[in-house]
Amino acid sequence: MLEFRQVHKAYATPQGPLKVLDGVDLSLNAGESLALMGESGCGKSTLLHLAAGLDLPDRGEVRLADRVISSLGEADRARLRRETLGLVFQQFHLVPSLCVLDNLRLQARLAGRERPNWTAELIERLGLAGLEKRYPEQLSGGQQQRLAIGRALAPRPALLLADEPTGNLDESTADQVLELLLALVRDTGCALLMVTHSPRVAAPLDRRLQLSHGRIG
Amino acid sequence: MAPLARHLRAPMLTTLATLFSHYRRHPGQLAMLLLGLWVAGALWSGVQAINASARDSYDRAEALFTTGLDRLERRDGEPLDREDFVSLRRAGLPVSPLLEGRVDTAKGERLTVIGIDPLTLPGDSAFATAGSGGELTTFFTPPWQTRLAPDTVLRLGLERQTAPGAEPALADGRRLPPLVLAPSLPPDTLVMDIAAAARLLERGTTLSRLVTAPGALESAPEGYRLSRAETLVDPGELTASFHLNLTAMALLALIVGLFIVQAALGLALEQRLGLLRTLRALGVPGRTLVGLLALELVLLGVIGALAGIASGVWLARALLPDVAATLQNLYGAAVGTQLHLPWHYWMGGLGVTLGGLFIAGSGTLWRASRLGVLGMGQAQAWRASFQRQLWVQVIAGTLAALLALAVWAWLSAQPAGEGLVAGFVLVGAMMLACALWLSPLLAVGLAGLGRLARSTPLTQWALADLQLQLPRLSLAMMALLIALSANLGVGSMVGGFRLTFLDWLDQRLTADLYLRPPAEQFDEVQAWLGARGEVAELLPTADAGSTLLEVRAGADDRRLEVPVSLFGITPGVRLTPTWPLLESRDGREAAWTALENGEAFINEQLALGHGIGPGDRLVLRAPNGQQAMTVAAIYPDYGNPRGEVLMTATALRERFAAAPGSIGVVLAETADPDGSKADTLSRDLTERFGLDQEALIDQRQVKALSTDIFERTFSITRALNALTLAVAALALLASLLAQARERRRRLAPLWALGVTRGRLAGIQLAQLGGAALVTGLAAVPLGIAITACLVAIINVAAFGWRLPLHVFPVEIGITLGTALLVALLATGLPALTLWRTSPRTLLAEGEAT
Repeated sequence: MLEFRQVHKAYATPQGPLKVLDGVDLSLNAGESLALMGESGCGKSTLLHLAAGLDLPDRGEVRLADRVISSLGEADRARLRRETLGLVFQQFHLVPSLCVLDNLRLQARLAGRERPNWTAELIERLGLAGLEKRYPEQLSGGQQQRLAIGRALAPRPALLLADEPTGNLDESTADQVLELLLALVRDTGCALLMVTHSPRVAAPLDRRLQLSHGRIG
Repeated sequence: MAPLARHLRAPMLTTLATLFSHYRRHPGQLAMLLLGLWVAGALWSGVQAINASARDSYDRAEALFTTGLDRLERRDGEPLDREDFVSLRRAGLPVSPLLEGRVDTAKGERLTVIGIDPLTLPGDSAFATAGSGGELTTFFTPPWQTRLAPDTVLRLGLERQTAPGAEPALADGRRLPPLVLAPSLPPDTLVMDIAAAARLLERGTTLSRLVTAPGALESAPEGYRLSRAETLVDPGELTASFHLNLTAMALLALIVGLFIVQAALGLALEQRLGLLRTLRALGVPGRTLVGLLALELVLLGVIGALAGIASGVWLARALLPDVAATLQNLYGAAVGTQLHLPWHYWMGGLGVTLGGLFIAGSGTLWRASRLGVLGMGQAQAWRASFQRQLWVQVIAGTLAALLALAVWAWLSAQPAGEGLVAGFVLVGAMMLACALWLSPLLAVGLAGLGRLARSTPLTQWALADLQLQLPRLSLAMMALLIALSANLGVGSMVGGFRLTFLDWLDQRLTADLYLRPPAEQFDEVQAWLGARGEVAELLPTADAGSTLLEVRAGADDRRLEVPVSLFGITPGVRLTPTWPLLESRDGREAAWTALENGEAFINEQLALGHGIGPGDRLVLRAPNGQQAMTVAAIYPDYGNPRGEVLMTATALRERFAAAPGSIGVVLAETADPDGSKADTLSRDLTERFGLDQEALIDQRQVKALSTDIFERTFSITRALNALTLAVAALALLASLLAQARERRRRLAPLWALGVTRGRLAGIQLAQLGGAALVTGLAAVPLGIAITACLVAIINVAAFGWRLPLHVFPVEIGITLGTALLVALLATGLPALTLWRTSPRTLLAEGEAT
């Protein structure tokens, strides 16, 4: 599903290049869930951005759904992202001008894969029934993140990329959201790559890898 | 194929709908965007509609026979008669008679009657080709026909549908021959057979003129003078500068409107950066996103432009009567008061508004396309680009200033009266330079003040906060600067003109009473008046037309063919000391002595238009050959579109066989506060000579009439000026209202730190009032520079006369006051909302950021 081969990435800083990823190898099979752990600033988010084709490696190869991301143009990368991936961010990144229902359907519509029954089921399972016409700012933090998860899973993607999905939530809400996330991932059969610094959040996933000093430990 | 197309369309439509959803949540921004497009389009389209209608009138007038045909006049100055026509035709010359006069309709409207002989009229004139469709015999046999344009029908109090065949009554009860519509005829003109016109105008056998096809006569027949068609100025040419002035004002309004649009677009995009990032992350390609933003722009642009054009047509309808009056007063050009809009007007209006929108939006789209997907949501990236933009503005402003300097240097090297377009370029470059420098100036000023205000934290915060707001305010401030300076510049020019014009009227209209007796009674009336005790002095005048053939300036000898007016005056105790002179050869007294000894004065228009100065010698065509005279002085002659040569009335009658004109009557210097002496004299004159009431004019009436004409002349300028300022005020208001909510959020932490809401509202007022005051102060020198350009360059090139530069402190005060008022109004509403927002809500809004 997803494969990193000797991926290197560095950022230019006034003090010279800052190495973030230094020859990362990683693979994730269809339906598998993987937690990528590490301290703040260790390159977890960079790795996720590379996996999503939001950024390109300096060296090495990132393969997603059997396609080498760095060989694709911007439009093809966008299409691959649209049709293959679901993304969940720590900051939710909901569209403030769309109501709950429209936010939920957004990615499915972009991918041309909206299924009304599945949308209705998601609304129920996410605990957002009755809130469809509200706007994101009228929801609690937990509700907003549940909506973000629903948006990512609405088109039933092959791979879900989640960047600290519970990082902005209190412990009890985080547990509920995580439980829901994993249940939905299991039911849809998609693979999951989750970036987190919390061992407690990583525990229920199939595999756990540690990223340290730009390498998988 | 179809599923693929559907597949491609689905994300596009979803993305477009998502982009538009922003405006559903922020209708104020959408309103601001549409408002900008609407006002920009409305003023531009309005003026273009006026110009298009005027051009249509000129084309129709030109296509008739006013300027397209050669003319014959008698050399002895006597009016033409049917005998002249008959003898010339018998001699085999292809001349055709014309009779022209005025009639008053039952509604009190004055229309021009033109009588023609369709059988002898040159075949390619517009009347012969376009106006005379149908049976020709019905045109020249009783009961005749009255041909008129459809827009003239309304002036007769009729409806267009019922007009054909109607025989409307005139003010004196007589009826016009049956009406026939002829769309190609000029407005306010009735064309009929010469026999019908002679009967209607009671002219007997006299003719107004004899015309021939251009070039049909090689030379003038014995005893006649020939004026070639090409030497007659057409109304389109005369009024070109007026329309250019209007277009410049409209362009200014368009630019100010587009400033609003750009401010709105920038704000909408900045607030949607997060949305753009999310959409990119969800798989919408960057190019698609920019393309859809452009599409959004076009869709909004079409709505705004159509609304603008519709309002523009309405505006043009409201302004056209005043514009028509102005053109009639200034240039004698007849313009219909009905709009005539060709198809290219509509397309042009849409094209200019959309083109302007594209220019206003292209910067925003370009900036959006250059921001990377990972940095997109960060407002800092956007602000960093504002810092770069400030530098670009400094450089561009400097380039504009250099351009202004270069144009000014070029204009200084040109003869006076040259460079109308260059004058506008100079004004435009100055305005652009100042507008571009304004934001960097404000940024530097705020940074400096911030350092000075370190000891007062709240002031320091207010200054720092204003710096943060600057990127969003700068465009509105630039628009305000442009509008304020244009307002001050044009206002001072009109005010200065008014002052000069009224002074000039006082100087020239020195007699208490003016009368215009018929030529045969002129000498008798003059003698009778001379014997009256209450009359101190008589100032008879004479007038004629001629052609300036030659100008001799030292060794330089130029041959010309310029039609000029000749005007004869009577220098005397009352007239000589007040008659204004701009330049003279040997001083004022010597100039008047020279005039009495047979030399001449010329008006400023003639002097500037042909580079003639005191001491130059003129050769003019006269009935007995040519007359030469030296120019002793140049005098101002505001409002006259033609060149004029002034001499004593006696000299004019002797040398040019001029017809007597009017007699100015100066009453003896005894008290006559209520004007009863003038009234008694008027009554006596009327009774004694059976003069028409219209032949007698009180000086006060002339002044009142002239002042009224002046006010109407500039009403269009004032209206456009006020509208432009209103647009700029709206720009600032809309900008501030659109970001009011975000500004409130920034105030929340201050409230939490213990600053009262009243104080916070006060800070807001001080911030924006201060920025507007700086803008207003910057507008003052710019406005004065604009006035200087208008009076010294543009006016001279457009009208042929120069005005003294007047600066009005009250006008400057109004400009500053307007800037402050606009800022306070724009801040007042958000400040009121802040006052009424509960502290808890304020803090909740701050946390939600």
